[in-house]
Amino acid sequence: MDATAAVRTGCPFTDKRSAVERAENAPTEMCSPVSETIGAGEMPVANWINVAELREDPYPTYARLRNESPVAWVPAIKKVLIASFAGCLFAEQHPEIFSNNVSGAHMTRAFGGQPMIRQDGADHSAERNVINQTLRPKKIKEVWEARFIANTQTYLDALEDGGPGADLNDVFAAPLAAKNLIDLLGLSCVAPADVARWSADFMAGAGNVLDDQDIWLRCQRSREELGSALDEAFARLRKNPDDSIISLLIHSGMPEESVRANVTLTISGGVSEPQHIMTSSVSLLTQHPEFLSWAQEEPTRFEQVFQETLRLQSPIAMITRETTTDTEVDGFRIPGGSQIGLLLASANRDVLAIENPDEFDPTHEARRHLGFGSGDHLCAGKWAAEAAVGRIAVPALYERFPTLRTDPAHPGTWNGWVFRGFSSLPVVW
Amino acid sequence: MISATFNHPEGTTDTLQIDPGVSLMKAAVLNGIGNIIGECGGQAMCATCHVLVQPEYRDQLPPLGEDEDEMLDCAATERTEGSRLGCQLKAGEHFSAIEVDLPEAQ
Repeated sequence: MDATAAVRTGCPFTDKRSAVERAENAPTEMCSPVSETIGAGEMPVANWINVAELREDPYPTYARLRNESPVAWVPAIKKVLIASFAGCLFAEQHPEIFSNNVSGAHMTRAFGGQPMIRQDGADHSAERNVINQTLRPKKIKEVWEARFIANTQTYLDALEDGGPGADLNDVFAAPLAAKNLIDLLGLSCVAPADVARWSADFMAGAGNVLDDQDIWLRCQRSREELGSALDEAFARLRKNPDDSIISLLIHSGMPEESVRANVTLTISGGVSEPQHIMTSSVSLLTQHPEFLSWAQEEPTRFEQVFQETLRLQSPIAMITRETTTDTEVDGFRIPGGSQIGLLLASANRDVLAIENPDEFDPTHEARRHLGFGSGDHLCAGKWAAEAAVGRIAVPALYERFPTLRTDPAHPGTWNGWVFRGFSSLPVVW
Repeated sequence: MISATFNHPEGTTDTLQIDPGVSLMKAAVLNGIGNIIGECGGQAMCATCHVLVQPEYRDQLPPLGEDEDEMLDCAATERTEGSRLGCQLKAGEHFSAIEVDLPEAQ
């Protein structure tokens, strides 16, 4: 069995956090010079990378990385970045080398425990298998689709009430993504706006490398609010088990502290991604009316729109790993103990893996992408997201508002690069 | 080492010698055998390691698991009697030799 050869197939996508805002928040003066310990001299140093430019438009930086040095030490981010499809896939296919058990306790502190996303192997599988039970396609269809449809109708009504010019992100995408997650988790009496706020606070905490006390306080306050909601959910679901994630976790025998950490993880990672795919889909379909007509002819084609949007505007651009041993990727040696950023958003535009990768073309079936990650940490919500967004929310938007498009007078705003999406997107119809 | 033969839809064939305990999916993915993806790493959360086991090798295999059965219904190529997920079949534990056809699409 070959453990080191670079591979060409695969797919990946998975989790996130941690390095996340660490990278987003790192001001330039924080960025140390080339590390003495991490691979300096072993691989190219990309000291031209600028976090402000990544936030503005990350794709030119990704293209230059792929062309010049698909594996590079990046001082501004304090990581070895892997930008090629083959390299990211290789890492995802070798979890014994590219560990999720990343050093640094920010996520543990922010979440109040070690969630499954930071575990490897059997420890991870034992927890992951519990939630997989309700996240496979059959349960999605039998249990969750009806909820997703009802929630979609609620926020379509809200959008209609808002009228042309309403912000699709605020009025529809964000609350719908949060409400779907509230249902999947099994929380009740919780407002979508609160869950969205908790999500933002937890993500800020997971990346709080500067030890900003205000962020820790926000994180703690949100954890306490979630804690109260969980106390209620634990009591209710202990008596009356159902198909929700919290119910499955508490009845699996998992310690409460771990359940809380895993729910916190789910809230951190489960809101903004479906939210961003909804707004990005509408933006891309506005720019490409020919593909909107094509999808409206046969609404199952919106599933391909979903996949192509996820590929082209991957809402999680980077996931973090740590090497357990020396390894080699794309011909570059990476020492053990290196902090790694897998640039999924770059891999998904790698011309060596995808034809015309910068073009939006949902008519190509199977444009393979790493938008969900690949391997053991493949996004647990993959099937739920495909249903909730690709099969339900986006087609329903165009069924209710067939002429829906972004407002040419008020272009939307983008935010973030590790987690990237519209922070506002006014629409008209 | 346990022998596994993969017949590709394009007409070519690959054969691997697999260490005991390693799944058919993992062996294929790590050795660059095309037409197998193994997206979820082996937790029966996708159906991208769909293989069609040749009749003479089926009897030795364990019965279909519930999750495996469900995911095969989602396979990109319609399932047949010999359909299995490669991630659920481990060399030595589940087969002493095997030959599979790979589907047109995963």
